[in-house]
Amino acid sequence: MTQTEIWVYVQTNQTSVEPTSLQLITKAKEIAVNQRVVAVMPTVVSEKLINEVQEYGPDKIITLEDDRFKTATDTEIADVLYQVVSTRKPNSLLIPATVIGRSVAPRLQAMLQTGLTADCLDVYFDGDTLVQVKPTYGDDIMCEITCPDHQPQMATVRPNVFKAVKQNNDTTIEKADFEFHPETQVKASTPQSIISSAANIGDANVVVALGRGASSPAIIEKARKLAAKLGGMVGVSRPLTDSDEFGHESQIGQSGQSIAPDLLINFGISGAVQYLVGIENAKTIVSVNTDPDAPILAASDYAFVGDANDFMDNLLEQVR
Amino acid sequence: MKIVVCIKQVPKSDSVKIDPKTNNMIRDNVEGVINPFDKNAIEAALTIRDQLGGEVIILSMGPDSYMSSLRDGLAMGADRAVLLSSRAFGGADTLATGYTISQALKKIGDVDLVLFGRQSVDADTGQVGPIVAQYLDVPQITFVEQLRMIDQHTLIGQRLLDGSTQQVQVTLPAVVTVRAELNTPRYETPVNIQSSFEKNVDVWDEHDIDLDKSRIGQAGSPTVVKRVFAPDKKGRQTKTLNGNAKKAVQELLGQINN
Ligand SMILES: Cc1cc2nc3c(=O)[nH]c(=O)nc-3n(C[C@H](O)[C@H](O)[C@H](O)COP(=O)(O)OP(=O)(O)OC[C@H]3O[C@@H](n4cnc5c(N)ncnc54)[C@H](O)[C@@H]3O)c2cc1C
Ligand SMILES: Nc1ncnc2c1ncn2[C@@H]1O[C@H](COP(=O)(O)O)[C@@H](O)[C@H]1O
Repeated sequence: MTQTEIWVYVQTNQTSVEPTSLQLITKAKEIAVNQRVVAVMPTVVSEKLINEVQEYGPDKIITLEDDRFKTATDTEIADVLYQVVSTRKPNSLLIPATVIGRSVAPRLQAMLQTGLTADCLDVYFDGDTLVQVKPTYGDDIMCEITCPDHQPQMATVRPNVFKAVKQNNDTTIEKADFEFHPETQVKASTPQSIISSAANIGDANVVVALGRGASSPAIIEKARKLAAKLGGMVGVSRPLTDSDEFGHESQIGQSGQSIAPDLLINFGISGAVQYLVGIENAKTIVSVNTDPDAPILAASDYAFVGDANDFMDNLLEQVR
Repeated sequence: MKIVVCIKQVPKSDSVKIDPKTNNMIRDNVEGVINPFDKNAIEAALTIRDQLGGEVIILSMGPDSYMSSLRDGLAMGADRAVLLSSRAFGGADTLATGYTISQALKKIGDVDLVLFGRQSVDADTGQVGPIVAQYLDVPQITFVEQLRMIDQHTLIGQRLLDGSTQQVQVTLPAVVTVRAELNTPRYETPVNIQSSFEKNVDVWDEHDIDLDKSRIGQAGSPTVVKRVFAPDKKGRQTKTLNGNAKKAVQELLGQINN
């Protein structure tokens, strides 16, 4: 083989292509130096889905077509991917860090006996080495992980960090042979979409966010009032999810939710990378912190150095 | 029913700091607790045992300091615990961890159900559960928010996908990873805390388990950390709001309302 290949696992359901998969095709094309970009796509038989992937211009699409993918289990998907990956030996394999991606990837990793980095925020090539970038423990630190001696180099990549861009290309489409091995001990239903009645901070137009510097019961109550006045919701940094007041669904950040409100007001949040990656797409960011050097301030459009409680009281008074 | 819950000990909330000179984690004096999602896994195991009878075993791989989390698991009501502890296990990434745990599960033997948290809050990968499932060659249900045994051999889990839910029915043995929405972990009771000290904790090293030495610890870990760095922050044009809070709020509202 003269040219190595970078593969993207394209996740599909019956009627649509999961958006992160398309974002990863665009990203793969951007970072490929000598590599060909190949979309590998377990799918129900559907020309429409294949055409949709083609619009993003991978060099090749390998389709694995079988109507049983409608309700395939993680193991069945991993097994099918294993069949093509182990015979064609791509240099690397990018996988959306969706629930399905994060469930299939480690199973596939164990079949292939290679490395896997979870929930990357960026990837790039250094020669043939895929450098996988993700935030790590502690404060403001990112780390670069590589898998020097095993291939494929595998990474799951967080949704919505890259933009999918349509591109023209002479895409080869190849229908690959494989065997579908039904997992007989398992019966999976067709996924039912959630009619989301419960409001979600990911969809809120205004978010009032509280951190460890704004975590007293009194300020939480005020924040709820303020959010109600502004037609928004209360979100939190991770330490507050230890309290009974807030659960994981309210957490903003890398291991919580990414949010994209028109207005975000941060109270008593220091601005660790793991928090900041979740708020990058907010339109206007206002932050209040007693520490003039808190990183959150530089990441904001409006900064107030001072007490969260005091600022909150004044907002409650002045907002109509 | 023989249920094993795999737990990890993690630093309490966000007490981890990085040494700015060496870029290493400062682990001293960091209080360890059970990874929060793993408590949901313990609760799920205890609920099933209360319903169907059987035994709940806590399994963890880590240094001796992990003993405190094992005791906490026993104090919640688990029956016994196993700690995989050895220098040889150190430096393991998820692949080596998954391998080591799966070999320990084979030694425990006849396990019907292995429960994991959806992810550990420090490593944050969620990989260990599915890797173990693969090595044991059993089905998995990940990210479960509802769980019900319909008889001794059959379990139905509802998993939460991105924007949808899915019902999955499996015949045991199986691996399940759980979300916080599944349940509310019970508190340790004084009686259980007391009796936890009488419960058995086995400590196993690489000689106690059948292991391929090239697949454990650092040697068995394909990934390496190449570099640790402080990212450039995508800065915004920051406008500082001056004066007291009242003035600052006035200024802010004046600007964002236009
Ligand atoms: C793998 C991993 C994943 C993570 N994922 C996430 C995640 O998804 N989301 C997340 O949030 N964190 C996450 N974290 C944790 C993250 O690293 C930080 O520890 C956390 O965001 C800090 O929360 P904080 O800013 O509320 O608290 P702190 O860092 O303690 O900051 C509190 C701030 O409040 C200020 N303050 C104190 N008193 C006042 C007052 N009276 N008025 C105004 N300001 C005041 C202080 O100056 C300080 O800046 C993760 C960590 C790891 C290791
Ligand atoms: N060292 C360990 N010992 C036992 N169980 C572990 C260990 N590491 C991870 N786990 C389990 O695997 C789950 C996922 O962890 P992780 O892949 O690190 O995110 C955790 O919630 C635990 O249930």
